[in-house]
Amino acid sequence: MKKITVSLLAAMLAMFIAGCEPQTSNIDVTNDQGKAVMALDYRDFDQAASKMVQSMLASGALKKQGGGRYIVATSRITNDTMQRIDIDQLMAKIEQELLNSGQVVMTSAVGAQDSTDPLVQDARKLRDSEEFDQNTVAAKKTLLAPELSITGKIFQKNISYDKGMQQVEYYFELKVADLKSGLRLWQNETLIGKRGSSKSVAW
Amino acid sequence: MKILILFLAAIVIFTAGCPQQGEPRVNVREGVASDTLASNIVTRPVVHAFSVLVGEGIVVNNATAKRNEAGLLEVQVNGVNKSYDTRRFRYRMEWLDETGGLIETKTSVWLPMSAMGKQPFSFKVVAPRPEAVNFRMDTRKWEN
Repeated sequence: MKKITVSLLAAMLAMFIAGCEPQTSNIDVTNDQGKAVMALDYRDFDQAASKMVQSMLASGALKKQGGGRYIVATSRITNDTMQRIDIDQLMAKIEQELLNSGQVVMTSAVGAQDSTDPLVQDARKLRDSEEFDQNTVAAKKTLLAPELSITGKIFQKNISYDKGMQQVEYYFELKVADLKSGLRLWQNETLIGKRGSSKSVAW
Repeated sequence: MKILILFLAAIVIFTAGCPQQGEPRVNVREGVASDTLASNIVTRPVVHAFSVLVGEGIVVNNATAKRNEAGLLEVQVNGVNKSYDTRRFRYRMEWLDETGGLIETKTSVWLPMSAMGKQPFSFKVVAPRPEAVNFRMDTRKWEN
């Protein structure tokens, strides 16, 4: 009898502990109503990318005079925050939308290290190889130079807001420059601000 | 008691009875402008409580669409916050092609917007694709 009681109590205790554990669930990424976090999350990146793309397209800076599409290279995007941010992830959203807008084409031949495709150069090293049909190897002077470049940075400011509170400001800056003339055609800054407990870690 | 009520009524009429009609493009906020029924220290709680009671909130008056110079559909949404409190909300614009099909784009995300109490607001959204000919917009409360 005593054994049964102990077993029952142990089972109830186990169920109680298991019940208190938060359950894992998938995030509804299209309608996420989860609480904000002090660090940058995917919603912040979506928001910043959307605002940047809209500003860029609305400005008309990417509309090539006389028709055609600009060739755009992604230059260096600096991460000056305390977080380890995958800049490619942010730029992929922006590049994808710019490509789909029909106004520009992106180049993988030149640009910041992560925006280039090493095979563009590697494929040209096959010119002397007897293993390859030379008619299928890229000839000299076939690469097109970029006309515009996108550069920018993300930086963070931590401000002590009140007793036990902090304010974290994240700035997303992007610039588009004409590579021939060096003139800047467009630039935009998007701010995402957060206020919360100073115990929350913003990285 | 009657005298007190009459006195209060007189103050309300005196302070709020003749709202100044100034330049409509310039907004002079509470605390700077002359008192109105909504800002007067005596009548304010009643007016604000009534606003909450009837559930005043955001109203979108119109949404105008035009093609910009780049050939992209540009939508301007104009509305007004009818409540006395600042209303924060999120909106998401979805773009439709000429067959009514949804154009999938990374820019169709929930974006934040804020409108101060009893104030008009406007925002612009640009379609990221030239094939967008129509739109639909959705709103939701701004999560904390």
